[in-house]
Amino acid sequence: MKEEECRVSANTVLQGRYYMMKLESEYISEKSEPGNFVMIAVSGSHDPLLKRPFGIFKTDPPYFYIYYEVVGRGSKLMALKKEGEQVMVVGPLGNSFPKYENENILIVGGGRGIAPLYFALEKYTGSNNISLIYGARSKDDLLFTEKLKKFPLKETAFYTDDGSGFTKGFVTSDIKQIIVRNGINVTFSCGPDKMFESLNKEIGNFNIRNFVSLEAFMGCGFGICYSCVVKGSDGKYKKVCSDGPVFRMEEIKWQT
Amino acid sequence: MADLTADLGFIKLKNPVIPASGTFGYGGEFLQFFDLDLLGAFVMKGVYTDERGGNEPPRILETPSGLLNSIGLAGPGAEGLTGIIKDVASKTLTPIIVNVCGGSDDEYLEVARVLDVMKEVAMLELNISCPNVRAGGRCPAQSVTDTKRVVKLIKKNTEKPLIVKLSPNVSDISSIALSAEEAGADAISVVNTFLGLALDIEKRKPVFKNFFAGLSGPAIKPLALKIVWEVANAVSIPVIGIGGITTGRDVLEFILAGAAAIQTGTVNIVEPTGSVRIINETRELMDKLKINKLEEIRGCLEI
Repeated sequence: MKEEECRVSANTVLQGRYYMMKLESEYISEKSEPGNFVMIAVSGSHDPLLKRPFGIFKTDPPYFYIYYEVVGRGSKLMALKKEGEQVMVVGPLGNSFPKYENENILIVGGGRGIAPLYFALEKYTGSNNISLIYGARSKDDLLFTEKLKKFPLKETAFYTDDGSGFTKGFVTSDIKQIIVRNGINVTFSCGPDKMFESLNKEIGNFNIRNFVSLEAFMGCGFGICYSCVVKGSDGKYKKVCSDGPVFRMEEIKWQT
Repeated sequence: MADLTADLGFIKLKNPVIPASGTFGYGGEFLQFFDLDLLGAFVMKGVYTDERGGNEPPRILETPSGLLNSIGLAGPGAEGLTGIIKDVASKTLTPIIVNVCGGSDDEYLEVARVLDVMKEVAMLELNISCPNVRAGGRCPAQSVTDTKRVVKLIKKNTEKPLIVKLSPNVSDISSIALSAEEAGADAISVVNTFLGLALDIEKRKPVFKNFFAGLSGPAIKPLALKIVWEVANAVSIPVIGIGGITTGRDVLEFILAGAAAIQTGTVNIVEPTGSVRIINETRELMDKLKINKLEEIRGCLEI
């Protein structure tokens, strides 16, 4: 990992609150793996003070892409960045989804959690049989469906909470059948905490390898401030930034 | 080119910039960003006798130009730390300072004893000022008698130079600093974080489980600078200034206020290479202002 100034090559609104930033860094774009994230300085001043974590959506050296939702002050400032501006970036950070070959993998994305999973699809579809479940609040929050359909996937299922545009339901609605139907032995998931909770309830006891990529409010992003901790199933705190963000589902102590 | 040597009396550092406890991990985490030999010294995260998990989240909250934290000194415990110290020491010649914590006098003593026998440890920093462990932010550094007692006890039982880290959450910092000096402290480091409170109006509850939290970052710089000036005027041992330093100019301001060296804190969290940038900026500014050595301005405030 490095701390370096990166040039914003593009920063465009995709739809509603959803944006894509294209940044230039040979180092980060070449070193990044699916699951890795970067910390980006959203302001050039002390306010807001902390860099913000963003999962890497894809790489195309010397470029890497950040797909983000404007939800608070930090992401609002991100959205204001113009092409040609320089931003300080630390990365790539964290661990990544394991590299498998010839496995039947199910990818489960919730909302903006699709970002690191899109990267996983780009990197891993060639060498594995992959199925995809992707859900969000409404069709306005479910981006890239057409692009995703172009991957050679065994099965795809899109859901919206309110039924707009796609099947009404949650990513867990048909997950058991999809797992059985496709002989799934590995899952990669990323989304809101609530999604993980229901995933754990539905498939936590399946005899398959479930990997979750967690989101957290972070201080440093590289393991020194001990802020972004989650309780592990062993009762000990784990740092999302440097022990993760990718964990085996059973490593985490879930509420349910 | 300006000479950045910082003279603490018992040790000469190649420059005055020392990343502070709790903002620099155990040093090794920063090896991927820069060579630790560039630093004047660095302070490892505070350690107790036993392994500690730290406080229940949330642990940080961003404030205007500042950071409130309630980490609660998570760490591996003194014995667990010895291996980490040896490993980092094999990768740098920069003096390693270890921040010593304790829930009781006995615990401070036990931690100090474990570290005292380690040749890899250059100095101890006695943390009698962490606001995030006891209820209400209480700590020994809030009382003259507690400060004197703990410092005397540790000083008697260690061969290492002893830096005593004080709290800004007191009414008369000079008397506390003097009591540490009288008890044998070799240097004072000030300030630890300022106690702050964050509230959640929707839940009508405090944000942090521990109620109070510690404020750091650029927001506290003027407050810290004032305290450093007061302490430097009160004691004759070296003072290490801490509080919101983010630039070379900040460093020279603390030196001018009377600090012999400084510690960088929150900047290390926000900008991993920040301390190195600050060292370079300090040198550049000294050259520009024609300051050859830090001693030329240390405590030389014209008023």
